[in-house]
Order: sequence, then C-alpha cells, then structure tokens
Amino acid sequence: MSERLRTAPTPEGEYFESSRFAGLSFLLGLIAVIALVLCAIGAIVNPHQFSYSWLFAFAFFFTLCAGCFFWTIVHHATDAEWSVVVRRQLENLAALLTVLALLFVPVLLLRHHLFAWMDIPRGVEHLLAALALRRLSARQDKDGNPLFTIWMRRVSFISLPMFALCLTFGAFDWLMSLNYTWFSTMFGVYIFAGAAGSSMSLLVLVITALRQAGYLKDVVTVEHYHIMGKWMLAFSIFWAYIGFGQYMLIWYANIPEETQFFITRNTESWWALSMLLVIGRFFIAFPILLLRSIKTHPHQLCIIAGWIVCMQMLDMYIVVLPALHGTGVHLSIWDLFSVIAIGATLGFVYLRLVPRTSLFPVRDPRLIESLKTVN
Amino acid sequence: MIKTPYGHKVYAMAAEYQSTAALYEAAKRVRDAGFRRWDVYSPFPIHGMDEAMGLGKSWLSGWVLFGGISGLLTAALVEFGPSWGLYPLDVHGKPWNFWTVPAFFPIMFELTVLFGAFAAFFAWQGMNHLPRWNHPMFNWDRFSRVTNDGFFLAIEARDPRFTENGVRELLEDTGGQHITIVHEE
Repeated sequence: MSERLRTAPTPEGEYFESSRFAGLSFLLGLIAVIALVLCAIGAIVNPHQFSYSWLFAFAFFFTLCAGCFFWTIVHHATDAEWSVVVRRQLENLAALLTVLALLFVPVLLLRHHLFAWMDIPRGVEHLLAALALRRLSARQDKDGNPLFTIWMRRVSFISLPMFALCLTFGAFDWLMSLNYTWFSTMFGVYIFAGAAGSSMSLLVLVITALRQAGYLKDVVTVEHYHIMGKWMLAFSIFWAYIGFGQYMLIWYANIPEETQFFITRNTESWWALSMLLVIGRFFIAFPILLLRSIKTHPHQLCIIAGWIVCMQMLDMYIVVLPALHGTGVHLSIWDLFSVIAIGATLGFVYLRLVPRTSLFPVRDPRLIESLKTVN
Repeated sequence: MIKTPYGHKVYAMAAEYQSTAALYEAAKRVRDAGFRRWDVYSPFPIHGMDEAMGLGKSWLSGWVLFGGISGLLTAALVEFGPSWGLYPLDVHGKPWNFWTVPAFFPIMFELTVLFGAFAAFFAWQGMNHLPRWNHPMFNWDRFSRVTNDGFFLAIEARDPRFTENGVRELLEDTGGQHITIVHEE
C-alpha cells in the first residue's frame, strides 16, 4: 500500500495566471464581439433562418454546460472522491450557464419564428415556468466557492430532481416543441444522455489544455483520466441506449403522428447526417473507449473527447435544423456565426472566470484522497 | 515432485503474518525474488495486493469480449436466418432487407450481455480453478484462521525456484511466523 501513496502536494492551490493568456482572451473577446454583431445583422436580415441557427448553437453549448452542472451536483450528492481535483473546472464551466441565460434572450425575442405553438397563449406560461426553474438552477451554480461540504451536499440533493425537471422541460419546450405536434417522453432523457457524455468529454479537453499550459501537473493523474474515460464510455452506451429506445418504439409502432420526427430526419440528405451521428457517436466511440490503453493516454483520450463534442454538435444540429429545412440539409452561414459567437463569448468569460479561484478545490476535505485515487 | 521423508507430497511452504502491512511487504519481496507459483491468503481483499504480487492485467476482459461477440453473432444468425431465408414473415409491413435491423437490436443487445456475463462467470471460475472440493492449504490446522484474522503466504513446491532452504530463509526474512511445509493430501 505504501508504494501507492504518492506524496501529496501541500495544498496551496494553483492559480491560473490570466496575464499569460491575455492575448488569447483578447482574441476571443474580439471574435465574440464581431460574431455577435454579425449575428445581430443576421437576426435582422434573415430572422427565420437565424433563429434556428442560434437555437442550435445555444442548445449545443447549453447541453455542454448543463452537463457540467450535472456532474458537479452528482459529485456532491454521492460524496465522490476522485472528482475533487477536476471539480473546480466543472464548476467554472457550469457557471457559464449564467452567461447562457443572457444568450437565451435572442431565442425569446425570436420565439415566434421558432415555436408555432407560441401563437397558442397557453404555451407562454410553460416557457416562463421553465425559465424560472432554469434561473434557479443557474443560481445554484454559484456554489463554486465551497464553504461547507455538507451544506453543498444538501444543496445538491435538492438540485438533482430540479436539474432533471429543468433539463427535461428545457428539452421539451426549446427543442421538442419546434414541432409541437410531435412528442416523445424519452426526449428529455435523450438530451440529458448527450449532455452528460459530451460535457465529460469537454472536461477532458479543458483539463488537458490546462495541463498543456503547465497546470495541474501533479494533481490530475492518469488514474483520473481513466475514470473520465470510463464515464465517456458509459454515456456513449447510455446515449445509444436511450436514442435507440426512442427510435425503435416509434419506428416499430409506425403511428403517423409519432413517426414524423424521424421521417424528416431519415429521408433526403438528413439521412446521411443521421447515419453519421449513429455511427460516430456510438459505433466508433464505443469500441475505441472500450480499450483501457486509450483511457489511460490523455492525448488519445483527447482525440476521442473532441470527436464526441463534435458529435454532440451534430446531434443538436439534427434535432433543431430539420424543423426548418424539412426537405434536406441546408447549411447556413448563420449556423457558423452563431456557434462562433456563443463559443467565443463563453471562452472569453471562462478565461476571466478561471483565474479567480484555485484550479482545484484546495481545502476540500477529500482532496488528499482524490490525489491518491487509483482505479 | 518434492516429498517429505515420510513420503508425503509437498504442496507448498507457508508462513503466517501478523498484519496486512506485513503480508503486503512480504508479497513484494517474494515477487522481487522471481517466484511465479505462489499466493497470499487473507480474510478480506487487500487494496493494491495485485500490484504487490506483480499479477499484472487480468485477461478476464478478453473472455468477456469473446463471449459478447459470440452472443452478438448468435443473435444475428438466429434473427437474420429465419427472417431472410428460412421463413420470411411480413410483420407490420417492415422490409425484408437489412433495414429491418432495428427490430433485431434488442435481441442482439440481450444476447451480447448474456453471453458476455456467462463468459465472465465461467472464465472467472476457470481462472480460479473453481469449483473444487478441497485445497491443500486446509491440511495446515493454523490455516483455518484465514477466514478470521490470519494472513498467510504460500510458495508452491512446483515453482522452479523452490528450494526448501531458500524459501524458508526468504519467509523468515520477511517476518513470517509458523513457517511450515504443507502437504498435498
């Protein structure tokens, strides 16, 4: 046993020097401003297309950040040890939800382009309820600075069902209701499965980027990568399970009001993208992630993590855009601008957020145990 | 085959240790001495013992993969066989070609899991030489404490490096007590 006890670094914490990355931060800020201005133009010139493009980009980043929030509250609720060293980055990413709440404003403004049911008055309260719940969950993100582990655990227990409800109704109201005559009770879980897997992949990318920059070298070990890789594997399987469960029940029953969603996505040029998603998100990711050697090599794991994040983007694209272009894939420049605008904004805010606290929770009672984690 | 002066076959030379830590340290010494046929016995699993014994990666996962793939192929065979060739049925107007495959996925998944689980269970049994009625270590009366508070280490006589004096010295060196020869039957 003593052989395994790595000497734990004295918990002083590591701090991100924002001055080192001032250039990157400025660049991201500049790109964000330019892209946001372009998006504003898009909203005026072609509001119909732009509203879908923006919702797609919003859904992509929202699922990533909401997934990070999920991992944070699960960490607290289950009293997890291994994730202590990576938790601060999860919290930072989840805190971006507050920025995303602002970036949701265009969706609200353009809602009549997106949601036909908006013309039915009852729908409005529904959206407001979802927003209120979502605000609450965004407020809970701020437990970033831990004072009492126990207190955070209590908050997490309350947050878990709230999160489930928020994400489910968010998925229903923002994405599924793009075609309000179609419904699937699995849809919330489907969005969650993609969110959890892709946010874990994002975490791998962020942690590796920080390690590349020279941080967390002695803190995050191969063992932590191994665990993160296992979660990526688990949620690749879970995503496929839920996605297929939803698909097969509808396909097999073959009831017209239910099949419309998949008929749009399985015909014309959407078919190719749907197949790419199924093959890429599961049939490629699954066997690769099965290998232990991949999970214990940070750089190889990063490649597959990047792939999964791309697949999540494709997933959101296939969920949102066919509602507009039912006759086939129709790439728009506003898709690109929306992704860049939200991505750069979040990246900019993230770089401002990271230096504020230590890169890992220094005073967490389970920090030493987390540093010594073995699989 | 090593025998005692009375003609008993020798299974191993064994020693008892005071604590998990002592057993752990002894295991590292035995591993470094290059022995291959030996084992440790304790009332509960000891974390990190696999590394201390130099066991390396278990190939149980290989058997599970084999079982899983056999399950997948079995399912594909028993589903595609009848549906395509032996007895095609028109179900819900679903096509008689490859694109009926979503209907087959649940069975493929189930058989993959089932065969994988069977492979895991039986390979695990095989790798541990189970089931068996008895074990030579039970010929040592002190060994009954292994389910209570005893920590034991035994180096088997069939290990090529096994010599009575050498092993006794090593076990004494590592703090082993009640060092004894354990008979085969």
